[in-house]
Amino acid sequence: MAIGKAFSLGVYLALAYFAYLMALITLQYVPVNFDVAFLRLKEAEISRPYYQWSFFGHVYTSIFVLLAGMSQFSTTVRSNWPVAHRSLGMIYVGLILLVAAPTGLVMGVHANGGPWSQLSFCLQAVLWFGFTARALQLARRKDWPRHRAFMLRSYALTLSAVTLRLWKFGIVAVFAPPPMDTYRVVAWLGWLGNLLLVEWWLWRERNRSSVGT
Amino acid sequence: MKHPFLSILILLFLVQSCGNPIKDEGAIVDVEQGTDVVETPVPEAPAPVPATEVGDNSENEEYLGSWVGYFRKDTGNDGDYDDRSLFLDEGYVWDRENKINLSIDKIIGDSVIGHSVVAGNDRPFYGRMGRDGIADPMTFKVREPGDDKYDGAFTFYIEDDVLEGTWLAYGNINIRKRRYQLEKKEFAYDPDIMIEYAKQFVDWTNSIEEKVTEDYGDGEFEEWMQSQYATATEAIYEINASNRRLKKSEVDNLKKGDLTIIRNTIYARHGYSFKNRPLRVFFDAQPWYIPIHTDIRSDFTDLEKENIRLLLKYEKNAAEYYDSFGRG
Repeated sequence: MAIGKAFSLGVYLALAYFAYLMALITLQYVPVNFDVAFLRLKEAEISRPYYQWSFFGHVYTSIFVLLAGMSQFSTTVRSNWPVAHRSLGMIYVGLILLVAAPTGLVMGVHANGGPWSQLSFCLQAVLWFGFTARALQLARRKDWPRHRAFMLRSYALTLSAVTLRLWKFGIVAVFAPPPMDTYRVVAWLGWLGNLLLVEWWLWRERNRSSVGT
Repeated sequence: MKHPFLSILILLFLVQSCGNPIKDEGAIVDVEQGTDVVETPVPEAPAPVPATEVGDNSENEEYLGSWVGYFRKDTGNDGDYDDRSLFLDEGYVWDRENKINLSIDKIIGDSVIGHSVVAGNDRPFYGRMGRDGIADPMTFKVREPGDDKYDGAFTFYIEDDVLEGTWLAYGNINIRKRRYQLEKKEFAYDPDIMIEYAKQFVDWTNSIEEKVTEDYGDGEFEEWMQSQYATATEAIYEINASNRRLKKSEVDNLKKGDLTIIRNTIYARHGYSFKNRPLRVFFDAQPWYIPIHTDIRSDFTDLEKENIRLLLKYEKNAAEYYDSFGRG
């Protein structure tokens, strides 16, 4: 079963809405302001130039990474406008490998919530870089099934920006736990959940096809 | 795979319809009037008539000083609850009593000069004292100026180290008559003093309505709306923001109720008289708390100023981002 068929209109609408919310979050940091939202709690870090560049590099590119990746799953777009798929793909890959993942690693080292969440974000940044780079390499080799698999993994991590916040919203609404405890939980849930879902999906596909026609 | 997405979508649309989904823009963090941390020293508010002038007749010394206790509704009957009493779901009652500091500052002849601090008001009073017979207690009749809508007249007597009396407002305010029974207390700023187990903190001005359902089986159930108020946890008994510099790591996991109490305890240690009712009711119940000033801006230590800044940052963050779609 092709991914494109599974992505019904409802899912695209949901993704579009969350992209809109992420855009709202991004806009809080436009223009550059060291004392707003998340940065209000990062006074020590944001005084350092390397963190300033990392933070704003990450925040200013990630929204485009999210958007560029969204349409890549559509078989319609891939079949009819292969150039669009490749161009958006290069934007996706370029922004991640050159900016979003390295800056994510720097920020991860300084993450709130102590070693536990710092580990999660650093691991995420490394895997994100790794999956995306591998997917690019496989595309160059025209190994489409594997390219697709690694792009799914890459986008699972891209989407963690959204799912982390959804988990946080849900957990707070139901349990109202202390804020950092919540953060330490969603720092892992946000991406592990997505990645496990993708791995399961891919495993299912492999087993279906191996059963034979 | 469609349905989970759609239901989250609908949930978030609903959140959005109530305002900004990523931030609670209406969230305000109450910083009590007269407590803001200022970098340049504020000119000290003219000190109220200095307490106890030694040099007065020593026989008046027993009357001079801060008399502290509760300023209660005077309805004629004891334990009279009326529609001015406050009842909350969790068995929390506030019968509109406030801690008062009635300070007799100077006695010259039979003239009495003093001031009272209660519920965020600091008002002077002047009057006379006298006694009918030698065996009778010293009676005081003093009046407040009258240019504040909560001004009135005190009538009290002092006997055996207890001050007892009534108060009548000039104007037609909600609670016109009050009674009180006070004891002399001396205020001393102690940065080490901590919150004790007394009245619970309940912020009844901010509530989330929650539907509660009780299922009795056989298809019978009862539904009602319960109010959820911000309260505090054990942290308020453990964290002292006046005697040591707080670290980010001990503050970043606290919810708004705790942050608010820990910050306001700094003010309470300085004898700040609270205008905010839930806070006032909470601190009044602390046995060591005496309302002394309505403006304490020049009283903070540098350590306290830093802690206030830190606590406020996390309070604002909690108010704006805890309930929203975001990592906050």
